[in-house]
Amino acid sequence: MIGDHRTHAAFSARAMIRAALAMVVALWPVLAWAHAEQGRAAGFLAGVHHPISGLDHVLAMISVGLWGAQLGAPAIWLLPVTFPVVMAMGGMLGLLGVHLPGVEIGIIFSGIVLGLTVFAEWRPPMGLAAAIVGCFAVFHGHAHGVELPAGASGLTYSIGFVMTTGTLHAVGIGIGVIHRWGWGRLALRASGACVTTAGLFFLWKVLA
Amino acid sequence: MKRRGGLFPLLAMAFMLVAAETAPAHEVRPGFLELREIDPNTYSLLWKRPTGGEVEIQIAPVVPEGCRLSTPDRQQLTPGAVVVRGTLTCEGGIAAKTLRVAGLETTITDVLVRIHHADGRLESHLLRPATPSVTLGGLTSGLQRGISYVQLGFQHILLGVDHLLFVLGLLLIVSSRWMLFKTVTAFTAAHSITLAIATLGYASVPLPPLNAAIALSILFLGPEIVRAWRGETSFTIRHPWVVAFAFGLLHGFGFASGLTTMGLPRAEIPLALLLFNVGVELGQLGFVILILLLERAFSVLEVRWPRLAARLPGYAVGTLGAYWTIQRTLILLGGLR
Amino acid sequence: MRWGLLRAAIASAATVPMIPAVASAHLVNTGLGPFYDGISHLTLTPEDLLPAIALALLAGLRGAYAGRLALFIFPASWLIGGLAGLAWPTVGTAPVPIAVGFILLGGLVATDANIKPSWVVVLAIGLGLFHGYLNGAAMSQARLGALGLGGIVAALFAVVALVAALVVALRPPWTRIAVRVAGSWIVAVGLLLLGWSLRAA
Repeated sequence: MIGDHRTHAAFSARAMIRAALAMVVALWPVLAWAHAEQGRAAGFLAGVHHPISGLDHVLAMISVGLWGAQLGAPAIWLLPVTFPVVMAMGGMLGLLGVHLPGVEIGIIFSGIVLGLTVFAEWRPPMGLAAAIVGCFAVFHGHAHGVELPAGASGLTYSIGFVMTTGTLHAVGIGIGVIHRWGWGRLALRASGACVTTAGLFFLWKVLA
Repeated sequence: MKRRGGLFPLLAMAFMLVAAETAPAHEVRPGFLELREIDPNTYSLLWKRPTGGEVEIQIAPVVPEGCRLSTPDRQQLTPGAVVVRGTLTCEGGIAAKTLRVAGLETTITDVLVRIHHADGRLESHLLRPATPSVTLGGLTSGLQRGISYVQLGFQHILLGVDHLLFVLGLLLIVSSRWMLFKTVTAFTAAHSITLAIATLGYASVPLPPLNAAIALSILFLGPEIVRAWRGETSFTIRHPWVVAFAFGLLHGFGFASGLTTMGLPRAEIPLALLLFNVGVELGQLGFVILILLLERAFSVLEVRWPRLAARLPGYAVGTLGAYWTIQRTLILLGGLR
Repeated sequence: MRWGLLRAAIASAATVPMIPAVASAHLVNTGLGPFYDGISHLTLTPEDLLPAIALALLAGLRGAYAGRLALFIFPASWLIGGLAGLAWPTVGTAPVPIAVGFILLGGLVATDANIKPSWVVVLAIGLGLFHGYLNGAAMSQARLGALGLGGIVAALFAVVALVAALVVALRPPWTRIAVRVAGSWIVAVGLLLLGWSLRAA
């Protein structure tokens, strides 16, 4: 693999990342002090907060990452590239007021179904897996889009929203790394069972 | 031997733009307004307006509504500042009154406002061109005051194009990473020393000759850069950290002008000094890192500058150094006459 | 070691879009004069910074030559567009074309589209003229003038140089995926922005 051959350029790229980060961290508060426009910063924070405001959303996003890690390549990288886009499409439909049937029930079932797939380590053909995940992504995005508060700053809200969603996937994929060990596979399947249980609990709460 | 010959012309152009804009007022010395409650509703006022720069800064605090200011003929001209003392009487106290500094919008100067209340509370605000007024009465924490000192230092270095240009000149001469580290550290240590000496009041340097000397230090680097291009060597090229230290002492006095004219309360000077210096170092470090990162980026992208473009930063250092030396010497001579 | 790299990449990926948003502002007054106002405008305004990052990512993915082209042509067209905006300003923004630009550029990054360097040039010119014009028009209202524009263009040059060089220097295959993920995030932001602006309209 090319990556293992550590070239000078690759090394300095890492140094660049670190240095750039350090600089940004060091300078930003001073430079940006008192310049934050209230509305826009608030929009960003609202956007960050929204995807993590409901446990059902959070669990579904993380399970998507877990499942991707179980499936391995190419799903593990196809997923984080396509999911935000599909979800944003759902969000756009929601923003535009386009009605989708069965969003509520779709979201509740997304947790149950995704949890089950992780539990069963189900390996459907790539196309089917993408269709399932894509469907749920549209539902989740749509729900978020409909719920968006009026008057928030659209752009910064969107940035915050996309960042959090992406980070939730990353968390799922990051946890999924344990898949390479035997005990890890077991733990992943167990967490899938937990997600399903939680999903059933949400379903029961809605029905009761 | 030479590594930093192929630096980036755009930066030099950016420099010249900033220089053209801010050079006339490159000394960003903040104003200082102090109100000390001596009786209920009565405050002694101390106002320091920076002077002696290359342009006069026309700013003045506006007496808040419902207040009266009496200044019994006490305007003093001190080196670097016009000082006004007086007594401010406000019906019903100073709380919730709006304090504005007129003319601040059109400057690039800040004004530090401190209010000593009779009960020992200390209120402090930093007025800036973007926010030239403040509503009094709020409490300020030590943290807020600290941040405003860091901010002052950071701004001071960002606007001190002459200081940044000197650092750029050093970067153009330095040929290895270790030498770079030594040089930047020497410069930092030297200007920290004189910044402390000047701020604590042990020594002071009048501004006009100091400015001329700082300009001369930049001009000094010009020929050294040319020598480095030619592959020649000199004491400066072999030991840039010595030069950085020697001239750093000079630049430290320059930084101090950003702090000494404020007339800070004695007790707060050490903290202010430290935090102001932190701000200066942050700005300087950011500048050095940015230049190194850009240089690396250009080599990754395999940018080949035309010969003239590659030398533009060096020429910028020499030319602006010469220009400032002449300009500031003329000011110095004009001041003596 | 590789996980250390991953962490750094994730951290940087998370930081880059966060910067503008944490302290977003349109035309800021830094108190440091119009040049620094211009610099902070670019760094604090996601409408302008995100497409610039996207173009730099795209050019970097296409290699050093494309990166070099973008490095010089993009800021130059931005400058020309900005001068035009200063000379003939109009009022208002254009959120829909901005969102479409996000989607287009982000999409090219996300798919790692193997476009020719000449197309990178076309995109750089189009995007630069468009955003530069909007900037110039805003600058003329805020009376920041050519010097503010100079600050924006200088900052743009630095951003493109750093981001494109970073991408060119990436060696391990998974780091390209990280860049593509960043592209897909930009597409997602563009889609949501499109939804917002169409709803508002």
